[in-house]
Amino acid sequence: MRLDDVLEETAFSVSSNKVRSALTILGIVVGIASVIVMVAIGQGAQASITNSINQAGSNLIMVMPGFGGGGGAVRGARGSALSLTEEDAQAIQSQVQGVSAVSEERSTREQVIAGANNTNTQIMGATPAYATVHKVEVAQGQFIQPDNVASVARVAVLGPTTRDDLFGTDANAVGKRVRINGIDFLVIGVTVSKGGSGFNNQDDMIYAPLTSVQQLLVGDSHLSEISVEADSANDITSVEQQITTLLLSRHKISDPTQADFNVLSQSDIAATATTITGTFTIVLASIAGISLLVGGIGIMNMMLTAVTERTREIGLRKAVGARRADISVQFLAESVALTFLGGLIGVLLGIGMSAGLTAFAGISTQVSIPSVLLAAGVSIGIGVVFGYYPALRASGMNPVEALRYQ
Amino acid sequence: MIVIQDLCKVYHGGFGADTVALDGISLTVEDGEFVAIMGPSGSGKSTLMNILGCLDTPTSGQYFLDGEDVAQLDDDELADIRNLRLGFVFQSFNLLPRATVMRNVLLPLMYSTIKKSDRYERAYTAMDAAGIPEDLWYHKSNELSGGQMQRVAIARALVDDPSLILADEPTGNLDTKTGEHILSTFQRLNDEGRTVVLITHEPDVAEHAKRIVHVQDGKILSDEAVVQQRRAWEVSIDAS
Repeated sequence: MRLDDVLEETAFSVSSNKVRSALTILGIVVGIASVIVMVAIGQGAQASITNSINQAGSNLIMVMPGFGGGGGAVRGARGSALSLTEEDAQAIQSQVQGVSAVSEERSTREQVIAGANNTNTQIMGATPAYATVHKVEVAQGQFIQPDNVASVARVAVLGPTTRDDLFGTDANAVGKRVRINGIDFLVIGVTVSKGGSGFNNQDDMIYAPLTSVQQLLVGDSHLSEISVEADSANDITSVEQQITTLLLSRHKISDPTQADFNVLSQSDIAATATTITGTFTIVLASIAGISLLVGGIGIMNMMLTAVTERTREIGLRKAVGARRADISVQFLAESVALTFLGGLIGVLLGIGMSAGLTAFAGISTQVSIPSVLLAAGVSIGIGVVFGYYPALRASGMNPVEALRYQ
Repeated sequence: MIVIQDLCKVYHGGFGADTVALDGISLTVEDGEFVAIMGPSGSGKSTLMNILGCLDTPTSGQYFLDGEDVAQLDDDELADIRNLRLGFVFQSFNLLPRATVMRNVLLPLMYSTIKKSDRYERAYTAMDAAGIPEDLWYHKSNELSGGQMQRVAIARALVDDPSLILADEPTGNLDTKTGEHILSTFQRLNDEGRTVVLITHEPDVAEHAKRIVHVQDGKILSDEAVVQQRRAWEVSIDAS
């Protein structure tokens, strides 16, 4: 039997039973579409999380204080120890290889008042290096300048969300004053929105000179974080190790497990996030995969029904000279055609639904080419696997009995 | 030429109840003969027909088709024989219901090695020979009358240009008049030199053949030439 004959027979048989063919492939369509949508949602989540992590700055290494409470049995909160100093930061800057910038930071939360409005937000004591390391851009005015830090200036740069909260949406805040912990600060700039959300939102923040925060707001000279930018991604591991070694010796700690600080790189966070979203994607895809399996069983059911229903036809085909292989190829081709068609529609539907989810529900999705190829491959595979048994049954029929079948 | 020798077919039923359908039948059919195999139902005539048509294999005995021992052939070789050398006409027509007349007639060619460009030519010839008017060629086969359907089945049997036509009660589902038309077609094909083996239980139908073989209880009861072959009415094609 020639290939074009097989295709013609298949097209004839699928199209002469349109309603049933459509209902059968519906299972595959739903299965494939849901696999694609689910994977797209998972990948979209992964992309948006990775993206927001990277927005905090690239090649970033964070050095944070360890548990507070000294060496006793009762630990304070992680990060609450007053163990990092400006000297530590300067030592990192001068002694660690592969460091391009070091940002000394001291943050606190305060109630902030501007006229009739007030908000509770994070006050970030920063140096000019902060803008470089954390990729902060200024929309209006300017960022903290070196002389602001030197002169313990009472100036502030507002995040766009804070600006909206205190002065109204998109109001001009530069030149106005905000009151932090009873002290007036002059607004000298507003940063560009980074689109963050949740806690540690970089849009809901007030930047002030490091010295001002230390002396006027918290009253000590410690740092709450040292952010280090490595020269390149390849340097991150080495910089992390050098910082750990340097700070251990500076803090006179011999046992690394007793360190009073934590070194964390952005890639560590990204890796964790990727693991989480990867699991999330697999869970979603498995659920969708089950519906694909159900669709495959539907195909097998339909093909078995077709084989029974067309017993006489099979007998006739054998009587006029069809070989076993001709019969099995015909039924196999039919089930593959159905699943392929279902896969094709499913892929299109999946891509459309993903786009729809992004457009109308605001869920970020990312249709990945491998998932589309996989879905197409799986749908054809389902046709072969679930069509094989019915095809075998059809080809094995005794022509005499098949012709006599009522 | 068909030569069968001492052909037996035993069906193994459950509980040791074996049914002997054919019990040592020997028969020779020369090329160009028109043989009617007659017998009541259960006589084994259908089993004989299935074995002659290479649809079934005998339990014992030999069957030579044009000198070839059919028992030695495998499944695929039997399929090729059915395809190229035999043409079947069934009582219940067995057409593909949703397909057109043309598609039904082309069906056996799909399983042959005949070139695609030659297939339609063959189908036209076969449909002409079976007496199917041209305006029916692209009708759906389930829209046809019984007589027309049987003509399509005959065209399908002829399309591979077989030397032997096997007809199993071809007039059984037709009224007498339509049956006569179909029989006249078989007679014409026989006149043109094809061997026809017809199975029937009606003496009226059998008399259209040149030779009648009576089968009963799996044995040949009698085997005699028809003295006066009954010619079916020569009819115009449209009548059926």
